[in-house]
Amino acid sequence: MFGVALVTFFVARVIPSDPAAKWAGPRATPEQIAKARLELGLDKPLVVQFGKYLMDLIHGNLGYSLRTRRPVALELMESLPATIELVLLSTFAAVFVGIPLGVISAKQKDHLVDHLSRLFSIGAVSLPTFWIGLILQLVFARTLHWFPMGGQLSTEIKLTMEIPHVTGFLILDSLITGNFVIFFDALWHLILPGITIGLYPVGLVARMTRSALLEILNEDYITAARSYGLRDRIILWSYALKNSIGPTSTVVALSIGYTLVNTFLTETIFTWPGIGSYVATAVIGLDYPAIMGVTIFSAFSYVILNLIADIIIALDPRVRT
Amino acid sequence: MTAYFEIRDLAVSFRTFEGIRPVLNIERLAIERGETYGLVGESGAGKTVLALTILGLLPKPAGIIHSGEIWFDGDDLLKKSEPELASAYRGKRLAMIFQDPMSTLNPVFTVGQQIERVIEHHQGLKGSARTRRAMELLDMVKLPDAKNLLRKYPHELSGGQRQRVIIAIALSCGAEFLIADEPTRNLDVTIQAGILKLIDELQRNLRISVLFIANNVSLVNVFCKNVGILYRGKLVEEGPSALVTRHPQHPYTQTLISAIPRDKSEKLRFANIEIKPEAPQGCPFYSRCPMGVERCTQEEPMLEPVGNLQHRAACFFVKRD
Amino acid sequence: MINWFADTYKSLQPTWREFKLSFYLLNRNALQRISLIIIVLLVLVAIFAPWIAPYPSHAISETNPQDKLLPPSSRYLMGTDELGRDLFSRIIFGTRISLQTALIAVGLALLIGVPLGAIAGGLGGWADEIIMRITDIFLSFPPLLLAIAIAAFLGPSLSNAMLAIAISWWPWYTRIIRGQAVSIRERQFVRAALAIGTPMSRIIFRHILPNTLAPVIVQASMDIGGVILTIAALSFLGLGAQPPTPEWGLLISTSRTYFLNAWWYSTFPGIAIFITVLVFNLIGDGIREVLDPRTRKF
Repeated sequence: MFGVALVTFFVARVIPSDPAAKWAGPRATPEQIAKARLELGLDKPLVVQFGKYLMDLIHGNLGYSLRTRRPVALELMESLPATIELVLLSTFAAVFVGIPLGVISAKQKDHLVDHLSRLFSIGAVSLPTFWIGLILQLVFARTLHWFPMGGQLSTEIKLTMEIPHVTGFLILDSLITGNFVIFFDALWHLILPGITIGLYPVGLVARMTRSALLEILNEDYITAARSYGLRDRIILWSYALKNSIGPTSTVVALSIGYTLVNTFLTETIFTWPGIGSYVATAVIGLDYPAIMGVTIFSAFSYVILNLIADIIIALDPRVRT
Repeated sequence: MTAYFEIRDLAVSFRTFEGIRPVLNIERLAIERGETYGLVGESGAGKTVLALTILGLLPKPAGIIHSGEIWFDGDDLLKKSEPELASAYRGKRLAMIFQDPMSTLNPVFTVGQQIERVIEHHQGLKGSARTRRAMELLDMVKLPDAKNLLRKYPHELSGGQRQRVIIAIALSCGAEFLIADEPTRNLDVTIQAGILKLIDELQRNLRISVLFIANNVSLVNVFCKNVGILYRGKLVEEGPSALVTRHPQHPYTQTLISAIPRDKSEKLRFANIEIKPEAPQGCPFYSRCPMGVERCTQEEPMLEPVGNLQHRAACFFVKRD
Repeated sequence: MINWFADTYKSLQPTWREFKLSFYLLNRNALQRISLIIIVLLVLVAIFAPWIAPYPSHAISETNPQDKLLPPSSRYLMGTDELGRDLFSRIIFGTRISLQTALIAVGLALLIGVPLGAIAGGLGGWADEIIMRITDIFLSFPPLLLAIAIAAFLGPSLSNAMLAIAISWWPWYTRIIRGQAVSIRERQFVRAALAIGTPMSRIIFRHILPNTLAPVIVQASMDIGGVILTIAALSFLGLGAQPPTPEWGLLISTSRTYFLNAWWYSTFPGIAIFITVLVFNLIGDGIREVLDPRTRKF
């Protein structure tokens, strides 16, 4: 598995061989380009470049942003907490809303509840995230004024209050320092982007849970359990659910990965200062190191996530022996 | 006035691709308290369906109960609601042993967890009292080293061991009526004998009634008081096992019994079976019966006493005196 | 080669029968019938776009500045954009683009992934190892990420976007095919063919491949919806279609500057995406439910 991670980096490196020449910028003169090449060591053979890149990576050096000339790694770390807030929120929703929804749907197969939730799931999965974000913004923020248009905090607060900075997570920080005004404001700002990003994972997880559960409920041991007089509700929530841990955790990992990438799309809409906005600006400005840095980071996190999911699956007693 | 356990006029069908297929058509099947009844039929005759129907475990959209009554100790089980069945009957008074020991045990829970959950449900015991009871039960089914066994997972046990565990779980419910659905189907012949012996002993010691379902007459012969022969969902002959096996009256039973080799010197005789076209109404055995006539295609023969009142067969050719 | 087609056709015959049966089943559910109808409609719209759209030229290049940003009316069913172009016509042409690019992208992915999977599963050994390692690498990226990265580096254009998607999608198919191929490889008839001395290449392509196609077809049809979404996302980010192409994602992206005053500009393309993807997803779901024997209703 870790070999995969390593080779991941390899692939990410091979791709940018094209823009090597575009590094210096579109308006650079030939001399400037040549100078840049030297600077970056692009004149050395590819293998050497790659070696250097790997070394940099291991040390956490992701290169320098073309736009700001600051280390990419640093900028990543700055934008990360905001995105993590969103991702965590959506994962939460996926697990605590999606899974129960899937379970109930499977139990009441073909009844109204099932059809409704299936419709919802498929709908949630078919929505273009960026579009629904826009619509939500339009309807709830602009027209109805129920929620703010974007940003993590209202401008007045930003200007008037001191923002706590313990962990970098606004919600946590404000809780820790007991600043409830900021806490509620941050929460309020979190809602629209949260819903936007959360829809897809909830839909996906609900669907997968439902199908996994349907399969399980058809198994003999469930019928046997019923024949012993065990209540259906118990059988469903403690018995069958444990059997579904494998596929469920895989799906949750998948949905987190998806969400991460979805943030690229939604953050710009809500002016949310996370990785997504960072990437969006990078893409527009063709800031290759930045893009590469984010790519590698995301891929890396994804691999770790899947690793965790695999470990959970391996806990299945059948695999252990 | 009904017997302790009595099935009357039961008609069950299954909804399939090609339409509704009748599966069970049982006129009358009665079992007295403390008796063992063996139900014999070939694959597809509807035996498992019967077992599931008794406990109300037929798969929901697919299984249809057209008519009939299943009397148990004065109550018609078919008239009971699902929650009533679950709380008052399943496990508590009627328990079932399934065919395939591997698929009947939940693979992600230990044996101990599974037994103890049922014990807790029925007897309300917790903690060490519960574990002690679990070990008692394992002793009852002659499984050695109960303490360690409880901690094992189903796939770590052999087929015979698993089946004993299942019997233990069924017993732990404290039921007075046991339905054994081909409990030895997937086991080696040598193990089979052990399981049969076990069931017989348990029946005598605990004084429970047993409905023993098998696909093989010689199995039930040994310890069943009465025997019933099921052909394509219809009970075609029943009576005291000695009588039925030594003096079979129904052509189907006769074919079954004659197929059992008496001793090694007897040459295998293959019955010359002329297959006649199916008779949609009338006797289901018509197409394979060596003696079919016009009447057999029009009327369905009912169970009529043959000589000894206990012994009944459903055929027009049976001698009645 | 012709032989190969004939054989594939023959071995697909039973699948065809099942297909017809599944088709019948599919239509029993009202929702799926509607979806099927809508898909057919969409395809028709895509094909006949120039004749259906009231202002076909708007979709391509003509601009109409004096009518800019008008709300929906009887003249302009869905309003106009900032250059006065009829949104309705543009969206209709967008159907063409979305369907086309999705089909091409998926097709490419299949073209790469399927043979690779068949070889990996059919040959086993080191070919299997290598191919699967490569596949694993690609699979360790979250689905959209690779597409975004590749599109970013290749340069923003619709065709590059298609390429990017194809490159990030093929591993999924390879994995499916390989799994199937491995299980078929173990079957009797393959061993029999080997015993007679049939060369491996023939075995793979004539025997194994046709039998593995079913799940992949299901998966691919389910994927079309997702691919349409991805293309829209890429265009939204500026990595796919470029103006003036009336691609739905691009429309939404451009609309952002104006949407506070021109709600129709953002709403309708999004609805178009939503309905299209929804319908494909529904059908895909239906196909899956029907083809998977375990979840069939009886």
